Parts: sequence; C-alpha cells; structure tokens
Amino acid sequence: MSKSGLPLQGIRVADFCWVWAGPYSTMLLATLGAEVIKIEGHKRTDLTRHGVVWPLPDPAPTEVKTNQGLSFNSVNMNKKSVTLDLSKHEGRELAKRIAAKSDVVVDNLRAGAMKRMGLGYEVLRKLKPDLIVMSLSSRGQDGPQWDYAGYATIHQAIGGAAYVTGYPDDAPCTSGGDVDLMNGTTVAFAVLAALYHRQKTGEGQFIDYSQCEGVTALVGDLFLGYEMNGEVPERMGNAHPQYAPHNVYRCWGVDRWLALEVHSDREFGALAKVIGKPELAKDPRFATMEARKQNEAELDQIIQEWTRQRDRDWMVQELSRAGLAAAPSRDWRDLYADPHLRARNAFVDIDHPEIGKLELVGMPWKLSESEIDLRRAPLLGEHNDYVFRDLLNLSQDEIDDLREKGVIL
Amino acid sequence: MTRGALDGIKVVEFANMVSGPYCGKLLADLGADVIKIEPLDGDPSRRVGPFPKSGPHPERSALFLYTNTSKRGITLNLDRLEGQEIFKRLIQWADVLIDNHPPRRLEHIGLTWEALHEMNPGLVYTSITPYGRSGPRADAKGDELTIVHAGGLGNTLPTRSVDVDRAPIKLGGYAVGYHGGLTAAPITLAAVLGRSITGSGQLVEISLQEVILALMRVNVTSARYHRVTWSRVPDRPPALGRLKTSDGYIIVGAVEDHHFRALIELMGNPEWGASREWDSMAYRTHHLMEVAPWIDEWILHERKDDIHHRGSKMGIPMGPMNSAADLERDEQYAARGFFVRVEHPEAGTHKYAGWPYQMSASPPRVKRPAPLLGQHNREVLCDVLGYPVSEFERLRRAGVV
Repeated sequence: MSKSGLPLQGIRVADFCWVWAGPYSTMLLATLGAEVIKIEGHKRTDLTRHGVVWPLPDPAPTEVKTNQGLSFNSVNMNKKSVTLDLSKHEGRELAKRIAAKSDVVVDNLRAGAMKRMGLGYEVLRKLKPDLIVMSLSSRGQDGPQWDYAGYATIHQAIGGAAYVTGYPDDAPCTSGGDVDLMNGTTVAFAVLAALYHRQKTGEGQFIDYSQCEGVTALVGDLFLGYEMNGEVPERMGNAHPQYAPHNVYRCWGVDRWLALEVHSDREFGALAKVIGKPELAKDPRFATMEARKQNEAELDQIIQEWTRQRDRDWMVQELSRAGLAAAPSRDWRDLYADPHLRARNAFVDIDHPEIGKLELVGMPWKLSESEIDLRRAPLLGEHNDYVFRDLLNLSQDEIDDLREKGVIL
Repeated sequence: MTRGALDGIKVVEFANMVSGPYCGKLLADLGADVIKIEPLDGDPSRRVGPFPKSGPHPERSALFLYTNTSKRGITLNLDRLEGQEIFKRLIQWADVLIDNHPPRRLEHIGLTWEALHEMNPGLVYTSITPYGRSGPRADAKGDELTIVHAGGLGNTLPTRSVDVDRAPIKLGGYAVGYHGGLTAAPITLAAVLGRSITGSGQLVEISLQEVILALMRVNVTSARYHRVTWSRVPDRPPALGRLKTSDGYIIVGAVEDHHFRALIELMGNPEWGASREWDSMAYRTHHLMEVAPWIDEWILHERKDDIHHRGSKMGIPMGPMNSAADLERDEQYAARGFFVRVEHPEAGTHKYAGWPYQMSASPPRVKRPAPLLGQHNREVLCDVLGYPVSEFERLRRAGVV
C-alpha cells in the first residue's frame, strides 16, 4: 500500500524555543508534517547549536562550531530556521507577523519573557483570534515561584521522580535530558488537543505548561498511594513491591548486566528450568510470589551465581525463548549494535552539510499510512529568504534594508 | 461548563497496567469518551497497589485509580464468541482503539490490523508493545525493568555512582509504562486529526524500547560522535549538582558564571570566593573539587526548602528532591491548583495529581472517578451498542460480561 500524506500538513508553528524541551515538542509536530519555523535571536542563538553535552573527555573542546551541536541536531529535525534580532523593535514586529501567519506559537523562554517582548498571548490573539499559544516554563506562569529558574534535573527533583530513583541505602538520583524530552512530548500532546478543539469549535487558546508538574504526572500513582495510606514511597533500586525476582544481574565480562523480571509462578518455573535448577519451583522458599519476595536476597544470589559465569546475550536469548522478560542493560554501543533495533530501522541516516553523515535516533512510533521522513536540522538562518520573502512578502529592498540594520542576520 | 478539547472522540481501551491505560487517561481527562475493557477478573493493576492501610482491594489500588480516571469500564470475556461480537461492535463505534497486548491476542480471534481496518476504515489503532510488532524480538516479553535497560536509560543510573561494580538500576515507579502511554497519546491524536488528509485511520505502532531510546537520543549520539562518556560513574569527580542538606537533597545548578557568583554570595562570601578565577567556567571545571568540601559542609546545615527559595530568588537554578509528602505541602503546586480532589465510591475522596497543562479554553478535568469493575456494562451494551435489556441480562448470566 502506498503511503499518503502526513497528519499535520497545513499546520504552521512559530517556534520560539531553545535548548531541549521546547524544541523537541515542536520537532514532534514538524516530523508529523507541520511547518515549524524556528525563530532565534541572532545575538542569542540556541546554545545547543554549538554546545557539547557534559561530561566531556579531556581534552575535547566544550564548544563545537555553530550548527554542529549534536543535541541541536537531535531535537530540531524537519524545521526551518530564521534569525531575528528580538532586542530591536523591527525584529519583534517581524516575529509578530510570523506568529500571525501561524496556527501555533510555542516558547520555552523564562516565564513572562514573551510578554516583555510584546509577544504575549493578549497581543498575538488580537492579530489572530484562533491562535494557539503554548508557553512552557519551569514552574508555570503564575504562583509564588513563577520566576524561579530550572532545567531538566531540577524539574525531576521537584516533581518527585528523583526521590524514588536510586538504591534504598543511597542518595536519590536524577537522570537528565530525558526529562526535557518527556516534557516536550507532553507539550506536543496538549498542542494537538488544542488543535483538535480549534478544528471543532474555531476557538484558539493559551496553554500554560509547568515542567515540574509534567514530572509529577508520571508518578501520580505513588502520590495517590501516599494520600491514601500516609506512607512516603521510597527508593527501591531495581526491586518491585510484589514481583520477585526483579533485578539486574552481573554477567561474564566487564560491566555487563542482565535485567530479569518474573511476574508469575509459571514464569518462575520456566526460569528455574533455564538455570538448571527446576527443583526451585517447588522449593517452599520460592514456590509462591510472596515467598520469593520474602526470600528475594537469597534468590538473587542463586540467579547471579548462574549469570556471572555466562555470556549476557546468550542468556537473554535463552530466557526470552523460554517466555521470560530478560534484556541486557544496554549502553550506547549496545543500542547501535542491537540487531532488533537495526531490523526496525530505529536509527536514521542524516546527511549534514557541515558534519557529514550522522546516524541519529528516529521517532518512537510508526504509522501504517504516513511515511515519516526525517530531515536534518536547519542551519542558522537557512530559511530567512523563504520566510521573509515568500511568507511575509517583503521585497528584496526591504530585506536588504533589514539586513543592513542587523535585524536579520 | 467548559467543553473538553477532545469531546466527541470515541475510544476503546483494551489495555492493562500502565502504558495503554495512561494513554487512555490522557485522552479521557480532556473529554474523549473512553470505554475501558477489562477481563472478568479486572485489570491486573487493581491487584498491584499501592493500597490504603485497610489492605489490598480491587477498587482501592492507587495505580488503577490514578491511571483510569474519566473512563467508563466494562468487563468482557473475549474467549466467548458473544464477547468477541461485543468487542467488534465497539470497534465499529470507535475512533480509536488502544491495545497494549501482544498483537496475537487480538489476531487469534481474527482481529488483525487488516480486519480491524476493514471493519472500520476510520479507526486509529494504537498498538503498544515492549519491542514493536516486527523484528527478531517482536515476540519477546518485556516490562518495566527490562525495557528501561533495553532502551539504554537504566545503564546510566544511578548517576554519580562511585562503584561500577554495583548494578545499574531502573527509574522509580512505572516510568516505562507512563512514558509509553504519554508517547502514544500525541501520535494517536495526530492520526485522528490527520484523517481528513490521509483519508483513513491508521495503525500506530509504539515500541516501548524505542520510547526509551528516543528519550536517550542526545546521549546516544553524543557518546558516539563527541566521545562524551556514558557511564553512571562520571569521569571527573562530581561537584555541585546533587548536594545533601540537613533534611534531604537538593539539585544546585550553578552552571553559568553569574549563577556561581550568586552562589558564593548565598554562602555569605567565603574568603576563597573573592578570587575572580571563579568567574571562568573552564577554571571551575577543574578546580571546583577543591572547594567542594566547603560547599558540602555549608549546605549540610541548610534546609532544602529554605535554601531553594533563597537561592532561586538570587537567580540560581535549584530544586529540592521532593518526596510525595513534600509535594503535598508544596506552595507552588497548591497555588496553581495542580492537585485535584476526586471522590470515588469505594476508595473515598483523595487528592490526585492533575495535569501540567492549563488550557484557557478547554481545561482538562476528571469527569468521573475510575470505573468500578464492570460498572458500565449495562450502560455501554444497552445505551451505546443498543442491546435490548433482556439480551444484556442473558449475556451477564452467561458470564460474557
């Protein structure tokens, strides 16, 4: 069956985002067919264009050339780029005109920044009443902490997810930029819901998004559990409150680990057979889920005695064949090498004019009727001509004049 | 009353535990009409908890209650032909089917994607599986622990570890399930919106392993192309970042020069801070460890909330590691009305986590609490599908619903 168009064709997004969370939300819309115009103040470009993710091996540089940052290229695919000096009145006016030609405006500047630039919702809605404006900030646009600064790990800490991540006898821990990408995904969802609402009613709206709250939504069961029983959910390492075995086991080799989880007695029987100790399934210490949970440490030791002598990938194959949930704890090399991810084309080849060939991570979904074609992130100002001439209908003289004044790069 | 953004979208949720149900909840709380199908003994999340002090009870599991708000629920025996017939009639009614079972679960009763598509050409079929519907591991089992490691995130945890011999860990809670449901929601909605362009529904396929991989996209490519280290044990001794206070932990993100200058001021301008060398990030990178013990010592005597406010007011990015109890009394969450009260006939009235998006024209809300087991059997069969009441009674007695 030949594939048809992308679902968001005809939707235009003015993208005032930078770093990770905001740009990823608009990238999701772009890959689904929306025309996303990324607007950067050319005195303050998206810092990921030239930044490198910490920590670096010495003596690598902490900066690469503009356009070459890998985080930039990972979260800005399929977009167009324009540069405007937003500190100048004329720059802000042009930004306003782009917004007025758009269906959606997204920003993740500090709360209140769009308003200060004269680009707040109240101004923009006068130009286009059915506009959807999404502002994502750290704590939200109002409340006593509206102007507090934050980024991914801070949101994860405040939102309550970090507190429950870690070993019970050690400190809580944050993961990192994944939190931004999660928030970007939630933002895209809210924008799509607003688009659906507009399609039905003709009504636009303002959406105020808090990235800390985005984290809390994903531990909602733990919060409700606390509300119901007064017990604060604590860190559990790899353990589950009921299932056992449920752990990560050392394998043969250097820093190689196997994740294994058993959810029923039937599965435990299968495991006991694979590790050559079928008698464990009848052993009163391990025969029921409750007993296994009770004697979990002892059971983990028995399993690890088996795993530490063996090859990780062979064990995963045998355990999977026996119908068990088992997986390697994959590092980046393992991910790129995973034959399953390879067979599913989970990575995409990108040809970048300055960097060359890159293999980047693709989208976390597949559609049967729409072909998602991933294209490289734009160079800084790459689409100035298209946007100013074709979209805003400025004459070449006007564009030259703006360039001379430094409004456009 | 305001209208929900997704009023009018009809969803059948054939899903259990976290991923599929959370996707259904996201749609339902914004107005979609979501009918959840459970087996006769209920969604397993009803048996998982956490539970109130009174003990396990299928109507009092916090996991089930939270992930199933705003839905109607029916029970259905899909091993019976009559149960399959009801399922098919719901498919014809629906815009969206959310399914997080292995594909063979529906295929073995004849409901392949092709069959579903023929039955209802406009149907968006969202299929969430551990490893996707194709590829050598398509049939492999996977869940919370195995997927977070298979997708590459687990291997980086616990961050700032000092012991590479200690096993990598998972994220707390049901992170994979939630991320799976969250990722499924926008693409499902896009497919519904796009029906006017594509001319039909589609099969939307979500692999949970790829959901986690997608979250690691920057780390993965940076490790490969910029030779950034990938390990839970950092290459350099870590300074700042996570610090221990008198009552817990706090993230102090004094990354930029002016943040660090403000931090020195917050500490009361210790003597070492007078040197202008601290205004250079390159200098800090290699010398922060020299003053780290003093910073640690100073903040160990501070309370996390108090120092969070004082530091944030000076422009330093900071965030306390909040527990559920901390969140419950957080002034910012309270001021924004993040938590919402939900009354449930069996579980009582409690505060639930709300939504990070405040929408001016079509706000999310809990339309109704999570359904009791089989609560809407009669309503759905008779009112939605048009079964006569006598037929419904017969099906109920026969153990179909």
